[in-house]
Amino acid sequence: MAERVFITGIGMITAIGDNVAGNLHHLRLQQSGLGYSNYIDTIYKNVLPVAEVKHASDALFALAGVPVKEGYTRTTLLGLAAMREALQDAGITDVQSTPTGFINASTVGGMCDTEKLYFDIINPEKTGSFLQYIDTLDCADCTQRIADTVGFSEHIATISTACSSSANALMFGARMIKLGMLPRMVCGGTEALTRFTLNGFNSLKNVDKQFCRPFDQQRTGLNLGEGAAYLVLESESFARANNSRILAELSGYCNTNEAFHPTSPSPDGDGAYEAMKMALAMSGCSLEEVSYINVHGTATLNNDVSEGKALERLFGDKVPLFSSTKPFTGHTLAAAGAIEAIYSILAIQHGIIFPNLNFSERMEELNISPVTTLMKGYPVNHVISNSFGFGGNNASLVISKYEG
Amino acid sequence: MKGKCYIQAMAAISPQPTFEGDIFSAQLAHTDSNLLACIEPDYKPFIPGNSLRRMTRVLKMGLTAALKCIRESGITTPGPIVTGTGKGSLQDTEKFIKEISEYKETALNPTPFIQSTYNSVNGLIALQQKCTAYNNTFVHRGFSFENALLDSMMLLQEGATHTLTGAFEEITKEHFYIKSRIGFWKDQPTDNRELYRHLSPGSIAGEGATFFTLTGTPTPQSYAAIADFRMLYKPTGEKLSAALKAFTTPPDLIITGRNGDSNYEHFYQELDQCFPGIPQLPFKHLCGEYDTAGAFGLWLAAQIVKAQQIPVAWFPGTEQLSAPVHSLLFYNHFYGEQHIMLKLERV
Repeated sequence: MAERVFITGIGMITAIGDNVAGNLHHLRLQQSGLGYSNYIDTIYKNVLPVAEVKHASDALFALAGVPVKEGYTRTTLLGLAAMREALQDAGITDVQSTPTGFINASTVGGMCDTEKLYFDIINPEKTGSFLQYIDTLDCADCTQRIADTVGFSEHIATISTACSSSANALMFGARMIKLGMLPRMVCGGTEALTRFTLNGFNSLKNVDKQFCRPFDQQRTGLNLGEGAAYLVLESESFARANNSRILAELSGYCNTNEAFHPTSPSPDGDGAYEAMKMALAMSGCSLEEVSYINVHGTATLNNDVSEGKALERLFGDKVPLFSSTKPFTGHTLAAAGAIEAIYSILAIQHGIIFPNLNFSERMEELNISPVTTLMKGYPVNHVISNSFGFGGNNASLVISKYEG
Repeated sequence: MKGKCYIQAMAAISPQPTFEGDIFSAQLAHTDSNLLACIEPDYKPFIPGNSLRRMTRVLKMGLTAALKCIRESGITTPGPIVTGTGKGSLQDTEKFIKEISEYKETALNPTPFIQSTYNSVNGLIALQQKCTAYNNTFVHRGFSFENALLDSMMLLQEGATHTLTGAFEEITKEHFYIKSRIGFWKDQPTDNRELYRHLSPGSIAGEGATFFTLTGTPTPQSYAAIADFRMLYKPTGEKLSAALKAFTTPPDLIITGRNGDSNYEHFYQELDQCFPGIPQLPFKHLCGEYDTAGAFGLWLAAQIVKAQQIPVAWFPGTEQLSAPVHSLLFYNHFYGEQHIMLKLERV
């Protein structure tokens, strides 16, 4: 029988906190990280809200634990900050002490920095130390800088499946553990805000000028965010032998493709339905046992209809409590799956359900509404966390309370 | 990764005439521009005209190679789709960066943004095939295709009957220039036919789209078995040498990613020392150097293992095989960072 996969360490940085405790604090206070950008060079600076990490890149070097040096992009620094916390949380002082893999996720690599230098990079008349950023043009750069800084050498990979990237990173790591390839994996993703991505989503008319309103009838789009999150996954046998502190179990997961449209989900949520159903089947959980769903809930017109329909199809008239935490963190794309996996663990650990901020009016297409107030003292045993992306990529994770 | 899988079908768009016809009678395409560009096929038999107009080059190459591979496989049920690409659609990325600047962030066409997303080729394949199975894209330089291969072998172990596994990469003029600024390419114009005679810093650029249908069990059509493979990240020469020796007994033939780059030639010399006297064939003079060149190398290796012959016109001065190739070692690395060793066996 395949090994169970336990989560033994978590680390994150988002617009609402530099670490897990900071995130939990602001979730409890119901304080959103949305606002206007200080660091992106865009005409939409004061027009389109974003959830930006409240530090200039210079200050991020300290959080990342590296000396200020060219070539370290904001993507890398956010990743390192989250990575440091995840390792510390798992009690790992030397990643080499046990063979440990690293699966990272990124949508645009170091674009946050390279987009500012790109026209110099392609101009033969310009030269200087900025050329050190050339390597940061791709997605592997942040992964390798993080790996080299903390010492991963066993297995490294970077996944890019748009908004489901880090959910897929977690899945890939869990599968490597189950197949007995490595006893320990660190998986997650990192994303920095860029003018490139902001204009991309804006050109798709997918960005709300107000703070995003997931599952609300009046919603008009998403707000982008930035951040990073990593989870330490361990095989059951290793975790027991190592006496690891177990935070939760990654009990189920599924990746499906919707094969419907390059950027839109199907109106009935076929992909979301399949992903949730198969992930639940793997976890062995019944529909009734699901305590909470951290929905993808981007607040785009299409996502919320599709995901909502999928929930109704799967759960009938007994849809569990659900909320989107995107109004806190913005949509952090490649980091979203890992950030929300950590929120799912926090829900289990603290018996709380986070409110879906900015909701006021139920969607006409649906009979369900999200949780709108912070619920405390609510027993949470099994959580579904959804991440759906461009290219029809759908990923659902099931995170379960550890009960021995 | 232990556990065998089998190459049921393959398709490659490359700088050589690999997409159609018999490669064993094909001539060697050559240039001294230090950039080996793909010979692009007629896409119309694969992609409807209205879709074709919107798609940029690497999307067309990727999708077409994937569809050809699916046709060749004879397998009609779609299965998991796993790919690797180091850079995705450079043309779209470059275009969107420029349009943001040119149009001052207003009235932008979203198409280049959508197509620049690394998993867009995967999405198109799934859409075209109505394939709702597992779908993943790895974007990690010289570990992009290799992680896709690993993922595919894991899927086969988990019970999938087959996977569509591939890689795609393009080189644009702009990106060629960018990488020249950090020493990726040779300074002097180098004819690809002479690549290995000019040991100097840098290599020559290339591109390609290569897809494989992998199965968990052999069929009469199988090209070769992938018996084992291993990735090594930034090894020392010593560590590489130890890994190579532990990886396999001396094979019948070695295919290497040698590329004339004096900066990283020492890794290939480690290989020479590990397996002295075993015949070797390098492949980078055929496809150039790029993140996912390993997929092309594997394609070539599988062709040779199945046909038990070498496309001699591609290897001037090399004799046809004199003994059967039962086992083949494939070794490649990307600028000294991501190393892969893979064992192919005759089915």
